[in-house]
Amino acid sequence: MSAMGLVAWLLPLAAGTALWLALDPRRGPGWIAAAFGHGGVFGLLLAAAATAVFARADTTHAVARAAPALAAFALLAGLVAWRRRRRAPVEPAPAEKIHKWTMGLVALAFASLAARGWLALREIVLRPTFPWDAWDAWAVKSKTWYLLGHYAPFVPMGEWLRDPSGAVYTGVAWSYPATLGWVQVWFAAGAGGWIEPAVNLPWFLLWLGLLAGHYGQWRALGLDCLRAGLGVYLLGSLPLLTVHVALAGYADLWVATVFGFGVLAWLRYRWRGERMQALVAAACALTLPLLKLEGAVWLLLMAAVAGLGLLPRRSRHYVVAGVLAALLLGFALGKLVLPLVMLGWVRVGPHAIDVPVLGALSIAWHPGAFAGTLASLFAQPNWHLLWWLAPLVVAWRWRRLRAAAPLCQLALLLALGLAFLLFLFLFTDAARWAESYTAINRLVMHLVPALLTLLMLLLGDRSPARPDTTPAPAARSSPR
Amino acid sequence: MIRRVVCALAIGGIGILVLGWAAGLGWRTPLVPQQRIVLPAHDFRVVMGAGVEDGEALRVAAVGDDGDALQSIALDHLRAEDFPLLRYRFDGFPRTLELSLIFRRADAPADVQAVTIPWPGKGWTTLDLRGVPGWRGEIVELGFSEYATPQIVPQSVAFRPFRFDGAQLWSPSWRGGLAALGTAWFGYTPWALLSVSALGPALETAKTPPLLPYLVVAVVLGLAAAALVLRWRRPRLLRAAVIAAASTWAALDLAWLSDLHAKHRLTEHLYVGKPWPDRARLVPDQDTEAAAEQIKAYLATQPPVHHLLVASDSTYTKLRLLYLLLPLNVAPLALAGEAPLPRDALLLLYASDTWRYDEGRGLLVAGNRTIPALPLYESGAARLYRLRSTPP
Repeated sequence: MSAMGLVAWLLPLAAGTALWLALDPRRGPGWIAAAFGHGGVFGLLLAAAATAVFARADTTHAVARAAPALAAFALLAGLVAWRRRRRAPVEPAPAEKIHKWTMGLVALAFASLAARGWLALREIVLRPTFPWDAWDAWAVKSKTWYLLGHYAPFVPMGEWLRDPSGAVYTGVAWSYPATLGWVQVWFAAGAGGWIEPAVNLPWFLLWLGLLAGHYGQWRALGLDCLRAGLGVYLLGSLPLLTVHVALAGYADLWVATVFGFGVLAWLRYRWRGERMQALVAAACALTLPLLKLEGAVWLLLMAAVAGLGLLPRRSRHYVVAGVLAALLLGFALGKLVLPLVMLGWVRVGPHAIDVPVLGALSIAWHPGAFAGTLASLFAQPNWHLLWWLAPLVVAWRWRRLRAAAPLCQLALLLALGLAFLLFLFLFTDAARWAESYTAINRLVMHLVPALLTLLMLLLGDRSPARPDTTPAPAARSSPR
Repeated sequence: MIRRVVCALAIGGIGILVLGWAAGLGWRTPLVPQQRIVLPAHDFRVVMGAGVEDGEALRVAAVGDDGDALQSIALDHLRAEDFPLLRYRFDGFPRTLELSLIFRRADAPADVQAVTIPWPGKGWTTLDLRGVPGWRGEIVELGFSEYATPQIVPQSVAFRPFRFDGAQLWSPSWRGGLAALGTAWFGYTPWALLSVSALGPALETAKTPPLLPYLVVAVVLGLAAAALVLRWRRPRLLRAAVIAAASTWAALDLAWLSDLHAKHRLTEHLYVGKPWPDRARLVPDQDTEAAAEQIKAYLATQPPVHHLLVASDSTYTKLRLLYLLLPLNVAPLALAGEAPLPRDALLLLYASDTWRYDEGRGLLVAGNRTIPALPLYESGAARLYRLRSTPP
C-alpha cells in the first residue's frame, strides 16, 4: 500500500475516533469497541464530506486536497476528546462470573465471525464490482468524478438533453445521494486509480464498525460482555449482512449501520441522560437521507418517535390521536403531503403515492407479494432464525418492554418501520420487488441492527445506570 | 430412564416425519426405489462440444462454438411421474460451469425443456424432478448441458475437461427423496446477481423445499414432545427452548458458512494471483467490456463528445456498457423517450436488432421511430452514429 493509501485509511479512522471520543468521553465498559466502531464509520463519512468540499476541483488528488482539513479536524476533535476524557469519571465494569465453557462458546462464535470476515474481505479484494446496482447506480458518480478529475453535476435526462456544453451528466440513478460516491472517490484517490476492490474496501470497515459499535453501545446500555458478545455474533452471522460486505457496493448496509447507531445513541440519551448522545442520534438520523433516498422515511419516523418520547406523558395520547386523525383525513381526501428530505413533497392519497423523484406508486393489494414477503423473512436463508425468534422474544419479555419507556419507543419505531415496509410491498407497485425478492430484504435490512438492539436489551437483566458525574482522579486507569 | 428413551424415540420419529413431509414422501413410499433406469454416460450422444468414451463414462473434452456442451440420450416414452428422481455423477466438474437438465416430451417433441440443476459435487447428486416445471407426460429424450456459469464466470476461462460418469432415473423412495433433500438444502449454488437481495434459489431453477421452516417445525415439535414425555415445567422448557434456538441458529450458521466458503472458492479460482488490470477484464461480459474499450479508444482520437446515447436490446448489456464507458458523458437512449435529441450527439448501438440503419434515407429506424444519423464507426456488435437534425 502506498503512503497515500495508508493516509486514506488511517486519517478517517483517526478523525472519526477523535470525534466519537470528543462526543463520548465515557470510560466505561465497551468504550474501546464503541470508539473503534463509530470512529470507523463516522471517519468514512467525514472523509466523504471533506472530499465533497475540498476536492471537487481535483478529485484525482482527493486525499491530498482533503487530508489537511480532515487532519485539522482530527487534531481539534482529539484535543477536545483528551480534555473531556481527563474529566470523565470511570465507570467500573460490573463483576461478571463467566464459566470456561461459556468462554469456549464465545471463542467459537468469534472464530466463525472471523472466518466469514476473512472470506468477505477476500471477495472484495479479488473481484471487480459485481452486484447490479453497485455499478449501475452507486459507483456511477464516483467513477465519473474520479476519472474526469473533477466534480460534475448529475441532472434529470431532460436537462441533460437540453444542455449543449456537455458539462452535466445523467443516468438512471442521477437523483441518488452522492455520499457513498464521495467515499469511493476518496479511496480511489488513495489507491491512485479507479481500482474497484480499493473503492469497495470501505464496506469491510463498515461491517467491522457495525459490529464493534453495537458491542460498545450495548455494554454502555447495561448488557454484560457475554450478552453483548452473543448479540455481536447474532448480528454478524446474519447471511444477508455478510453478502452486503462480500459483494460490496450497495448503500443498504450503510443505512442499516447508521440507523442502528442512531437508535443506540438515542437509547443512551433517553436511558442515561447523555446529551451528546442525542446529538449523535440526530446526526445519524439526518445522515440517513444522504445515504439512500429511503433514509428520508427512516428520518421522518425517527423524528416522529423521538418527538413523541419527549412529549409530556399526559399530552402524548392527545397528540398521537390528533396526528393520526389528521393523517387519516388527509389520506382519505388525497391531500396528505409529507415533506421528505431528498424525496421532495410526497403526496399520499387513497389510490396512489406520488414521489417526485421516483414517480407515482398506485395503491392496491398484491397477494403475490405476501407470499414473497413470508418467504423472504421465514423461509429463505437470509436471516437465520431472526424473524421467527423476534416475536417470541418480545412476547416472552413483554413486561420488561412495557416497563422501559426507551425500549417501548424503539419497539414503536421498529413497528412503524415494518408497517411502512409491509404497506410498500403489499399495497403498492413496489410489490413486484417483493415477488421477485429484489428489494424487500434490502429494505428490511435497514431495521435489522436496531431490531437486534431491541431483542438484546430485552434479554438483558439490568437497565443501564445513569453515569456518575463526579470527575475522575487523574491516576485512575480506565476499564476496557 | 424409560421416559428418556421414549423421548429420544419421539424426537427421532418427529425428525423422520418432518424430513418425509419436506421431501413429499408418504407412508407407502418404499425405502428403496422399486424401479431404476440406469443411463451409462457412454450411451449419451455428444450434441454440442466434443467427447470421447472412457470405459462406461464419457470424457467431455471441449465445448461448442457458442461455449456450450450438450450430451443427450433418447428414451423410450418414459412416464415422467413414475420416475421423479434424477441422479447424476460427474468427475472433476469445474466450479466455473453450470449444469442444465434438458429433456423433450412426446406431446411436444419440438420443445426443448431446460432447467438449471444443482452443481454436481463429489459422488452422486440427486434431484427431485417434481419441482421441475414441464416434467410430466412421456419423456422421449434427456440430456445435460454445460456452460459458463451465467452472470459470474467469463466464458473464456470457464471450460476445463471433465468426466460424465452417468445418470439414473429412480422411482419414488425414501432413500432417493432424502438424498434429493440433502442436495436441495446443502448443495452449492454460485453467487448470482440476486444474491445481494435474497439467498433463496434463483427463480428459474427447480423448485426445492426450503430448509428453515421445516427445521423450525421439527425443533418446536421436538420440544413439545420432550416437554410432554419428560414432564418439564416452565423453567426447564424455557431453558431447553433457548438451547434449542441457539443450537438451531448455530447449525444454520454452519451451513451458511459452508455455502459462503463454496461460493468463495470460485472467486479464488477465477481471480487469485492475477494483477488488477487482468482481473478488471475478467468479467462475465467480456465482449461488452472489450467493445467499451474500443469505443473509448476511438473517441479519444475524436473531438470531445458532449452527449453519447447508448442502446442495446438487453437492458443488462446497455447498463453495463454505460458503466464501462465512463467517464464519457453517456446516457441510455430509452431514458430520453420522445424528447428531441441534441444535435451532433453520438448514438452507440450495441448488440441491437431493434435498430437498423436505412442507408438510402440516412435514418436509424426502430419500428415507427426514426432518427437522422450518419454512421461513424463499426466494430463487431458495436455501431456508432452521429445524430443529425435532418436527413441528408
